[in-house]
Amino acid sequence: MTVAIEARQLSLRRQDGWSAARHSVLDRIDLRIPEGAVVGLVGRNGAGKSTLMRCLLGLQTPDEGNAWLLGEPSLALPDSVRERLGYAAQTPDLFARLTGLEHLDEMAAIYPNVDLRGAAALAARLDLSLGKRADTLSLGDQQKLAVVLALAHDPDLLLLDEPVASLDPISRRDFMRALFAMRRKPEPRTVLVSSHLLSDLERVVSHVLFMRDGEVQLFIEWDEAVENLRCVPARERDAMALHWSDAQGGRALVDVRQWPEAAGEPGLSMEDLLEVLNT
Amino acid sequence: MPSPSALLFDIQPQLATPIYRQVVEQVQRLVAGGQLGPGDELPSVRAVAERHAINPMTVSKAYSLLEAEGLLERRRGVGMVVAAHAQPARAGQDRLALLEPALLAVARQAHQLGITPAQALKALERALQSTEQDSP
Repeated sequence: MTVAIEARQLSLRRQDGWSAARHSVLDRIDLRIPEGAVVGLVGRNGAGKSTLMRCLLGLQTPDEGNAWLLGEPSLALPDSVRERLGYAAQTPDLFARLTGLEHLDEMAAIYPNVDLRGAAALAARLDLSLGKRADTLSLGDQQKLAVVLALAHDPDLLLLDEPVASLDPISRRDFMRALFAMRRKPEPRTVLVSSHLLSDLERVVSHVLFMRDGEVQLFIEWDEAVENLRCVPARERDAMALHWSDAQGGRALVDVRQWPEAAGEPGLSMEDLLEVLNT
Repeated sequence: MPSPSALLFDIQPQLATPIYRQVVEQVQRLVAGGQLGPGDELPSVRAVAERHAINPMTVSKAYSLLEAEGLLERRRGVGMVVAAHAQPARAGQDRLALLEPALLAVARQAHQLGITPAQALKALERALQSTEQDSP
């Protein structure tokens, strides 16, 4: 297995207001994401999802620990790796005075693989006009443009931070199709995508990464989670359980392979899992 | 055989069954019921993924499992076809086994709703009659 994204003990702390207390934004994150995985990054607001992405990309320096993208250290990525990365930040990072086409031209001047025709086709599919200046676009259209730009050079590794939050359901479907259709190389692309729209993620992810309070709670293949994870009533924490929640009289998240009596319990949606992991 | 349609499958991501398993079970049912016969083409991985906005790897995984099971064959230049020796299940027992998960779900819900077995059986009969009228 080739690892596309790796983190070891990645930690970042932040000073909290006036107090001297330092609060963990990322808490000793260990992570190994295999090449070709499509990973949904899921957690409540403030769980550390955006910070994790920024640290993985080397845009923010961790207090401790290290990260690697495509085998190279995040804080010293060579151009050969940068060319293979695509990233769309939560707040689209665009040049206000440039049109979509001008953004693509700028990209084509830097990246060798920019596929202008493919990008135009994707824009058309998402119902985005490339002729308008970025500062005249709605937030939804700015997000679409950021996604078109992140995909234009056929990156091997794509990091998307809440890319679809402002898109309507039809555009979201088209966006998910584009994740796979905009691929010219035979090897599948590795994708890390954060979103609160979990029913969208359920369609496309191979893995899901649950974060809470700066920690990785669970990193699992989604098919495996659907088939094997169940909730059972439990008054107390059990060492065999993956997680214990005191809500609703106590519930334990268990794997039916270790907990056969849970097999009769109903399966959990991604939203169900998020809820139990956050209570 | 008309060109294979990606609409062949009914994919429900919100179900408690993983998507790849939904595809596996539907192909099994279509072959068992004789709707897909030996040599019939399956829709391409790309077409199914595109139609349902799902990950192509998931469709590949389902097709590979069905290939390992001997139900599908990879044919050069065509893609996946139903294997030459794949037979519709003659013994009704095999086909009934494929229906079992759905029946269990209905039974559970009938029990929760306090519906008697006799009422439930009657309702099933009516449902069967109405689907028979729908199909030519």
